[in-house]
Order: sequence, then structure tokens, then C-alpha cells
Amino acid sequence: MTVLTRKAGKVAADPRPSSGRRHAGERAWAFAFASPYLLHLVALAAWPLLASLFFSMTDYDLVSPPKFVGFGNFTRLFGDEVFWRTLGNTAYFAVLFVPTQTVLALGLAIALNQRLRGMALFRAAYFVPVVSSWVVVAYVADAVFNPQTGLANQVLGFLGLPSENWLQDPALVIPTLAAVAVWKGVGYMMVLFLAGLQAIPEERYEAAKIDGASAWNRFRYITLPGISGTTFLVLVLTSIETLQSFEQVFVMTDGGPHGASELTVLHLYRQGFQFFQMGYASAIAWVLFVLVLALTLVQFRLQRRWVHYA
Amino acid sequence: MRKTISYVLVTAGALVMLVPFVAALSNSLKSFAQYIQVPPSWIPDPVHWDNYAEVWRRTPFGLYLTNSLVIAALAVAGNVLTSAMVGHALARMRLPGRDALLTMALGTMMLPTVITIVPNFLLFRSLGWLDTLLPLIAPYWLATPIGIFLMRQTFLGIPKDFEEAASLDGANPWQVFWRIHLPLAKPALATLAVFTFTTSWKAVLEPTIYLTSPEHYTLPVGVLSLKGQFVGNDQLVTAAAMMSLLPMLVVFVLAQRYFVRGTMSAGLKG
Repeated sequence: MTVLTRKAGKVAADPRPSSGRRHAGERAWAFAFASPYLLHLVALAAWPLLASLFFSMTDYDLVSPPKFVGFGNFTRLFGDEVFWRTLGNTAYFAVLFVPTQTVLALGLAIALNQRLRGMALFRAAYFVPVVSSWVVVAYVADAVFNPQTGLANQVLGFLGLPSENWLQDPALVIPTLAAVAVWKGVGYMMVLFLAGLQAIPEERYEAAKIDGASAWNRFRYITLPGISGTTFLVLVLTSIETLQSFEQVFVMTDGGPHGASELTVLHLYRQGFQFFQMGYASAIAWVLFVLVLALTLVQFRLQRRWVHYA
Repeated sequence: MRKTISYVLVTAGALVMLVPFVAALSNSLKSFAQYIQVPPSWIPDPVHWDNYAEVWRRTPFGLYLTNSLVIAALAVAGNVLTSAMVGHALARMRLPGRDALLTMALGTMMLPTVITIVPNFLLFRSLGWLDTLLPLIAPYWLATPIGIFLMRQTFLGIPKDFEEAASLDGANPWQVFWRIHLPLAKPALATLAVFTFTTSWKAVLEPTIYLTSPEHYTLPVGVLSLKGQFVGNDQLVTAAAMMSLLPMLVVFVLAQRYFVRGTMSAGLKG
């Protein structure tokens, strides 16, 4: 990101002699070209930010006009047990999902980075779940985690272990969802890591080999710092995404069993679009928004300690 | 030695990725009796191809497919065109406040979707667009931050000589953009196109919120609604889900290198 802005500065400073009139014409053209995004900023960025803040302080059921209630929605929210439970569920899901996916994606990328034959084919295999919708994945996951007929219990039975209820077990539902989410997302993250690995100059490894560095030390002192920028990006992106996870639980469990997999955005969806409490839904959105923002800022702060941009 | 370990690891991983799809495909070819049979059989005997025909017979699957295709096509056209325009303005034109706009694009890229759900619904409601395909298309015609970044990077890399020659020949900025820069940016346009197609094709949240009549459903929402229609007969819903994946798979196989290229360039941004 720093690279982008620096380049922008360079391009901006190219003085070209031209008359004032031609200048104005060029500007008009430039604005015309940029106009879709100017409209985007108004309608799809500024409006949602301001409107959701406004509606979060109202009671609004879509029928009668919004009624101002101050911080009433937020007071109610902080006393809403379901909200706290969904926040706990979301955090639990994130804690299982983010590290597992990151470590597995890195491991696969390192393995695939050795110019293996058929690498394109492998990469494709890992990408199929990435391009599938959650609806497709729900039925693919059913073939695995259906308690009666799924593959997972067949494997457990083969190993002489007792069957599990997976998505229907309140204690197992979030770990199972996290496993499916890793399965779906690991290919994308793996390609991101591959790009990071391929940007590390080969000479560094050769020099380290000549100096007699062990494979572990080469990994620890060359690979890990070399991809720390990518790792940072992966962590920021997945955390933002995971805190807002909705489609997976909406499609696979609808929050069940007994609310054990109800995530915060599902709660928001229900309040807003099933009970038509737009004000309350907006308050949930703002609290989650602030949490996402805070987490992102913390990650940007911590980045200085461990991310090396070579 | 290390290569052998890698092969074993990567192959095992690939199997974990693909075997569930095979199992689902097998489920989609079972009769109800075969589907609920314990222990399950791997290869259904006899193979029940009729499930696929039955989905077409008993549901408006063709309509879902058409809706998804129309939305995806218009989303791709809109995002590719407008993101290229904005990227062009940021890379090659004298736009006052260009750097500020670039920073704002970065900011909107990080804007969590959760904050936009309710306001966008209210916006499209006031426009009278609920239960139409428009809310699923129109946002793509206002450019996307990722598309802008991708196109800006691409246009920065095109030499200036071409446009200078064209300007001397009296071409206006639109002609320079359309006839000279766009054709040179084809790989990036293809990358953006496949990414937009995928995003649009996979979407569940937006169509769920905006569409209420079954005749406007997209494939994901339509397939999801079959759960109610085929109560318990999940082998039929699985068949529908498999069919909804097919067009996406075709695009993926044809355009695989663009998927990889796009993901990689997204990663290098960091």
C-alpha cells in the first residue's frame, strides 16, 4: 500500500506545458472519467456510514417514519444476551479459523513453490472450493458431515471411533464450520502466499546454504521475514471478513443448534430483515464496525514489530 | 527427498479438496432410498440421472440460471468499464485531488460490508428497486476499489508515446482511452472480468435481501429455496447445487491463469 501512494506522488508531478484553456478541458475529461467512483463514494460509502449512524439512533420499522431514540438501541444492545452470545461465537469461530487457515495456506504454498510437476493442476484443485458459492459448499459439506451418511463418520467408524453429530452438536458446530471454512478459503490464501514466496530472491537462499544454514534456519530467517508483508495482508483481510461472516451459517446451520452457531451478522440480519427493526440492526452494525476497525488498527500498529518490507 | 514430502502433502491436500465434491456428485445421482441408506454406497447403483431432469421439470431452474447469467454479465460489463475509466483517470489524467481519491479508494476497500447492509437496502427501497435485479447490478457500474487499483497499475505501465501520437492526431481523451489504452490492458480486463463474475455468481447475502419473488431468484437463492420444496429429498437439492456450480467451473477452467494472476497481484499490493 505504501508502494501505491508513493507511485501516485511521482505521477502527479509531471508538469506539461499547456494553455489554461486546454487545462480546463483536460480536467473536465478527468472528472468525467472519475465520475463513477465519485458517485460510488457518495452512494456506497458516505451514505451507508452516515445513514447507519443516523438509523442506529432511531426506531424504524419501514412502515412508520423513523423515531429518534438517542442511544436507546445501544443501551438495549449491551443488555442483549443474544448479541453477546453471537459476539462470543464469532470470536470463537475466528480464533479457530484464522490461524488454521493461515498456517495451512503457508505450508501448502511452500510445498507448491518447489516447481513441482503438475503444479497448475494442484493449484486448480485448491481453487475449486474458492469459486463455489456457500450454497454449493453446504451440500458438499453435507456429503462429508451428515451424521448418518457422511464421509467423516465413515472414516471415524473405520478407525474404530464413535460417530459424531458434527453440525448438529452444539459443542462441535463451530469447529466443524471453521474446518469447512478453512477448506473453502485455503486455496485463495495459498495463492497469495505463493506470490509472496516467489518475490523472495533466490540468491538469499543460496547464500545461506553456502554459509551452512539449516533448512529450519533458512525458513526462520529468510522465508518468514520475506513473506511477513503477505502474512500481514492475509491476517488483516481474513479478520475483517471473519468478523462479518454471515453466508456460511445462514446457509449451513441457520445459527443452530439452539443458537450455538449464531454469529453477529446473522443476528443483525434477523433483527433487520425478519423483525424489521432497522434501527436496532444499524446499532449492531455500528458496534461491529467499530470492533472491525479497532482490530484493523491494532494489526496495523503491531505490524511495525514483525513485518519487514524488503 | 524434500520434493517427495511435498508431493505427498500436496496430493493429500488436493484429495481433501476434491473428494467431498465427488461425494456430493455421488449423492446427487442417488434415489431417495439410496441417499438415506446406511452405510452409504460410493457409486449409486443404479445411477439416478433422472434427479437432474427432475430439478428442471419441477423447478424454475432455467429462470434462476438466466437471472444469474444476466446479473453476472451486466456486473462484469459495468465493473470492467467503470473501473477502467476511473483507473485511467487516476493513472493518466490531470485529475485534481488524485492522491486523495486514491487514499479514499483504499479506505472504501476496507469498509466492512456490515455497515452497508441496512443503508443500501433503504437506498434501493427508496429507488423502488426492491425485488428487481437492479440492486445486484447497479453497484458494479460505480466501479469497485479493487478494480480501480488493478486498472490503475496496468495503465501506469503503458508507455506514453502511444497517447501522445494519438493526441497529436486530434484524438480526444475518450478515443485515447478506448482505442489505445483499453486494447493494451486486455489481460488486466480479463482478470477483473473473471473476478467480478465469480463475486456476482457466488453472492448469497444481497440476493437474499433484495429479491422476494421466485421468478427473480438467482441460482444460490433459488437452490436454497428448493430445500423447502423438496423437503427431505436433499439428493435433488444437491443435484441443483451441482448444476449451479457448472457455469462457474467452465469459466474457471477457461480462465484459470487470470484467476491466479489476479489473486497474485492482489497479494503484491501489501
